[in-house]
This record gives sequence, structure tokens and C-alpha cells, in this order.
Amino acid sequence: MAATAVLAPVRARVTGLWQARSVFRLLVVRDLRVRYAGSALGWFWSVLDPLLMAAVYWFVFTTIFTRSVGEEPYIVFLIAGLLPWMWFNGAVTDTARALRVDEKLVRSTNVRREVWVLRLVASKGIEFLLSLPVLAVFALIYGTSLHWQVLLMPLAVALQALLLAGLGLLLAPMVVLVRDLERVMRIVLRLWFYVTPVIYGAVDIPDQYAGVFALNPLVGIFSLYRGAFFPGQVEWGYVLSSAVAAVLLLVVGWTVFARLERTVLKEI
Amino acid sequence: MTEPIISVTDAGISFSTGRRQRSARDLLIRGSRGRRDIDTFWALRDVSFDVAPGETIGLVGANGQGKSTLLKLIAGVLLPDAGRVQVRGGVAPLIEITGGFVGDLSVRENIRLAAGLHGMDKATIDASFDEIVDFAEISEFVHTPYKHLSSGMKVRVAFAVVSRLDEPILLVDEVLAVGDAAFRKKCYGRIEEMLARGTTLFVVSHNEADLRRFCDRGLYLSKGELLLDGPMRDVLDRYRADSGITA
Repeated sequence: MAATAVLAPVRARVTGLWQARSVFRLLVVRDLRVRYAGSALGWFWSVLDPLLMAAVYWFVFTTIFTRSVGEEPYIVFLIAGLLPWMWFNGAVTDTARALRVDEKLVRSTNVRREVWVLRLVASKGIEFLLSLPVLAVFALIYGTSLHWQVLLMPLAVALQALLLAGLGLLLAPMVVLVRDLERVMRIVLRLWFYVTPVIYGAVDIPDQYAGVFALNPLVGIFSLYRGAFFPGQVEWGYVLSSAVAAVLLLVVGWTVFARLERTVLKEI
Repeated sequence: MTEPIISVTDAGISFSTGRRQRSARDLLIRGSRGRRDIDTFWALRDVSFDVAPGETIGLVGANGQGKSTLLKLIAGVLLPDAGRVQVRGGVAPLIEITGGFVGDLSVRENIRLAAGLHGMDKATIDASFDEIVDFAEISEFVHTPYKHLSSGMKVRVAFAVVSRLDEPILLVDEVLAVGDAAFRKKCYGRIEEMLARGTTLFVVSHNEADLRRFCDRGLYLSKGELLLDGPMRDVLDRYRADSGITA
């Protein structure tokens, strides 16, 4: 009895979401069209930000500081972390305010409300995939060879998408109800960057802090991305905790979303 | 009797009358507990009725008595806090119709987006695009950003898209009041076409002529409660008597 009472609404939500897939695709295409505006320059803008950041960190950590972390060539190492970070950062920022930005559309169309959030995870994810050639170009220039672990990349992408879906579903309704949460999120994201292995690697984390870093689901995911060029970077312990955290966050996020949905619809 | 296409059972929805949004500081200082249910009022309470396919229903009541809220519950853009609202079939909602349009996108992109969001598939959108443009009389402005249209044109585009949806239920909220006489006539024609196909209709209007013309059955809402559910004529008589209008 209790099990069916819990499972029936879950199944209804999942099938409802599946039925909304054409709307989902429509919105993803719209997002990408707005982003790239039918020109090559649009794509250029989407990779300019991570490239500039890579250039700055590269200069600081190869010229000013003597660096004891990361691997050579450091620029490839950096870009392999910065591109997925851009996806994470952009998707969290955008999904958090998804219901608010599109409030008129949310209020006037009977589209599964999850779609407004999840479609941003997808469109930002596609932007990320389209930015990967930049990584390939730098790897070619510096003669970094590809390791078989590049095959782990789909796993990393899947885990990150799962994690972003959970976070987005958790944050989007809360941002509508709590006005200044968006500002708090911006600060949290800036701090999150430094506790994520972007300018350093997961292997560089001191053992005594391993327990703390295991709480950050990005550590394992980013170690998987790095494995494509730097075989020693994959840390399976962190990957496991990332996977657990991603699934857990999705359950929590979706529960919160379902709980707050009716209140949010009144407030937007 | 056939299965009802819409069943509303003890439905209720409450809104808070206090401050709209909380800030993180409020949450931290006062805690999230204790503030609920303090300043709430029930916009609808214990409303129950069934609608058979093909029925035409007019909602009657003064401003702020829950008519539009009820339509939004049926459209699925609000969810009830109590009871159930079951809708067995797609809904074409002519409520806040211009809300589904994005100012910066062109009329063409907006038509495609809105039709898609309302569940029209790509092939149908392609097939009915020209007809929508013709109906809205907007062919010179297809590439114009939506925000540059006049308010009358905006409503025309929106009406043309939503009324083209081939759904068994049509919800109409006061949109008939806008637009010039010629366009209004076209709208009436379109609604009548849909009724001839057996569409279930829900109308919110303060225009008695519209209500009498389209609706067989009336629902009279007052203070969020369903006072009377009966033939349109009786409901209008009662409403007029209650509000002290002598005709």
C-alpha cells in the first residue's frame, strides 16, 4: 500500500515527462538558436570565456607561481577542467532562475514544469559538447596523446547531467519563493570553483581532506574528464561518491520540486 | 451516461494575502515555520461538478469570485490545494493568451514556439502556419518582433494559434472583449466551428449576450463557492437578482 502510494505519483511524473519530450526538444532548439544566432561568432563567444580563463590561470601558474600540482601540458590540463566547469556554472545559474525568467510561459502553458529546468541542463550540455573541439585542438598543438580512458567521458557527462538535473530541480522553485537565493548562489558557485579540481587535479587533494572533498560530487566527475589525457588522474573512490551524490540529489531535488510546484505556480 | 471529460471534486485553492516573497534573511531569522496559513484566503472552496463531452458552460460571478482561477485549474496552470481536478483530454486555453509569447522573437518564431508549447507537432505547425497568419491578418508582420505589434494584433496572433489547436476542450476567458468588431466576428465564427465539432467549451464573460449565445449550462461562483449549477438562463437570472440589476 505505502509503496504504491509513493510510486504512483513518481511514475506519473516520469511518464508525463516522457510525453513532453517534443516540447523539450523545441525548447532546447530555441535555446541553442538564441545562443548561436545562426553564426560562427555565436560559437566563438561560448568558448571565449573558458579560453580567457584558461589563459589567465595558465599565465599565473606557469610564470608567476611555481606549480606543484596538475600535469603537463598544463594548458590542456586546465581546459579539460574549465570546459565542464563552464557547463556546470552556466547550467546551475540558468536552471536556478529557469521558472522566473520564463514565468509568463510557465504561467500560460500546461507544459510539465520540470521541462523548463531540465531543458537547460540539455542545452548547456550540448554547448559543452560543441566546445570539446577546442580541447582537441590544444591537445594536438601540444602533442598530448589520447588515452583509452577517453571512453569514460560519456560516464562523466551522464553523471554531470544527473547532478545538474537534481540541483536545478532543487533550486528553481526555491529561487521563485526566496528572492535573494540567486545572489547567494552566485557566491557559492565562486567558492565551489576552488574546491573543485579545475586548476589542480583530484590526485592533488591531501589525504586528510579527502573526506571533505568527497562531499563535492564534481571531484569524481572531473577526474573522469581528465583521464582522457592524463591516465593517472582518475580517482574511482571520488567517482563512486559523485555517483551516489548525483542520484541522491536528483531524488531530493525532484521531491522538493514536486512539493513546491503548486506554491510556485501561485507566486509567478 | 458517458464518462465526464472534466471532473472537479471538492476542489479548493488558497492564496496568501501577505507578502509575496520571502527573503533568505526572513527564512533565517523567523524560520520557515509558522508563517503558513496565517494570511491565506480560499479563492475556491469545495467546488464540485462534472462536465460531459460537448457541454458548453458559462462561468458567472462578480470580479474576484474565482472564475479565472477555476479556468486555470482546468487548464492545469494552477494546481488545487484540496480536492481533485481531473481533465481527460487536451485543453486549448484562451486565457492570458499573449502570455505564451516572447517579445524579442519574431511573429513567425512565436507562432511556432507557442503552437509547440501547446502540444502541436511540427508537421501540423507547418501545415497550419499560413492559415494562422491569414486568420490573424498579420502577413506583412511575420518577421517583426512580437513586441512591436499593437496590442490588438498581439491578441489576434495569440487567438489564431490557440484556436487552431485541435483539442477537445476550449477555455475562453474574456478574450472576446478585445479586438475590433470585424475580428470579434471572426472569433465567434471560429468558436462556433469548434462547437459544431463537439468541442467542450468553458467561457468566462461579463457579456450576457455571449453567454446566452454559446452556453447551455451556467455555473455561478460567489466568494469561491459554487452557488448554482443549472441552465444558463436560470443562472443568469439568479446572478442578476443577486447583484441587483433589473433588466
